[in-house]
Amino acid sequence: MSEKHIESGEGHIAIPGYLGVFAVLVVGTILTYWAATKDMDWIFPGANTLVALLIAFTKMTCVMLFFMHVYWSPKLIWLSAIASFFWLAIMFAYTMQDYLTRSSGVFST
Amino acid sequence: MSSHASDKFVYHEPGLQHQFEDMKQQEESVSIGMWMFLVQEIMFFGGLFTVYLVFRSKYPMAFAAGSNHLDAFWGGLNTLVLIVSSLTMALTVYYAQKGNRNMQVVLILLTMFFGAVFLGVKAIEYTSKYEDGLVPVAGLNKKVKENPNAEHGAAQAKPCYEMGHGAEHTYINPRGEFQWVDCSLVKVAEKGGFLTPEEKIGYYSNGDIDADKFRDKVRIFYWIYFVMTGLHALHMIVGIGLMTWLLWTAWKGTYSHDYFAPVEMSGLYWHFVDIVWIFLFPLLYLLGRHFLH
Repeated sequence: MSEKHIESGEGHIAIPGYLGVFAVLVVGTILTYWAATKDMDWIFPGANTLVALLIAFTKMTCVMLFFMHVYWSPKLIWLSAIASFFWLAIMFAYTMQDYLTRSSGVFST
Repeated sequence: MSSHASDKFVYHEPGLQHQFEDMKQQEESVSIGMWMFLVQEIMFFGGLFTVYLVFRSKYPMAFAAGSNHLDAFWGGLNTLVLIVSSLTMALTVYYAQKGNRNMQVVLILLTMFFGAVFLGVKAIEYTSKYEDGLVPVAGLNKKVKENPNAEHGAAQAKPCYEMGHGAEHTYINPRGEFQWVDCSLVKVAEKGGFLTPEEKIGYYSNGDIDADKFRDKVRIFYWIYFVMTGLHALHMIVGIGLMTWLLWTAWKGTYSHDYFAPVEMSGLYWHFVDIVWIFLFPLLYLLGRHFLH
């Protein structure tokens, strides 16, 4: 939104806001380590990684929205940022739909 | 006589380049360009994350074993160091917008300092990998000749799956090859029944756990570790280079309320490098950490 776009820096979250984001990132890092030491394989094998990735995505979102000012940026920047993860998802999904099905299914040896 | 064809007065902002209509258009053009660069950087690192995804889904236990040997303390410390540097960078942009030269200089110096600390910790970690024989390129590890007085076969008495994490073993590596002694996690997975089909082939010879085959799978993890963290460290070095230039221009008082795009764009780059590390830390350092606790 052009109205939201700042020209003078007034719209930004200023120092208390930056410190708040910083605190979230530090807590996230400690939480990542703590969660990694807990055995979550009883949920399903590899649940630890899912939790670690959820925290990492939260941290990344904080950095992008507030440190990288995406929150106050034009829609085109939002689109670029989101689209990059869309392309990444395509790369992951189409690679894995091959690798994960190689030794199973009707065409397996 | 005026040199201007028009006699109308047109106000120009001092920071406005002639090809742009106004400051808003200029700022948007600059940031969209930087974001396009970052999008291709995401795809660049994304290729490596894809390699990680493919090999980890094949050999999760070898990845967990390799990851357990990385020092989570140094990795975690580096994560915090980068987060602090991201904060100082964000504040640099804030003070650039305010046109506060002194605070800009101080915060850029702090950002550079934390960047250097990060690289220092990385150097400590790489050195320890070199000394433990974990560099995946043969010949690049520490070379230790076999002691001719030592009793032969004493060190190799135990099978690899009884070594356990952090087990003592004598480091003998005359050719500087990649070494790996502990495959206890294969036994853990065997008992738990969660070996993948690839692992059932990839870790065994004639029904027995094969230490050499397991080592080669751990070696894949260390390749990925060195390439990804190495590329990330290279980005840090480039970032510190950018900061040096930024320091010089900020010192001269270039940035103000009207013109701070270089500070903001360098900041985007710095935060991007931080984000890559936010993912590298749990994905490389913390796999299978719960097997140790």
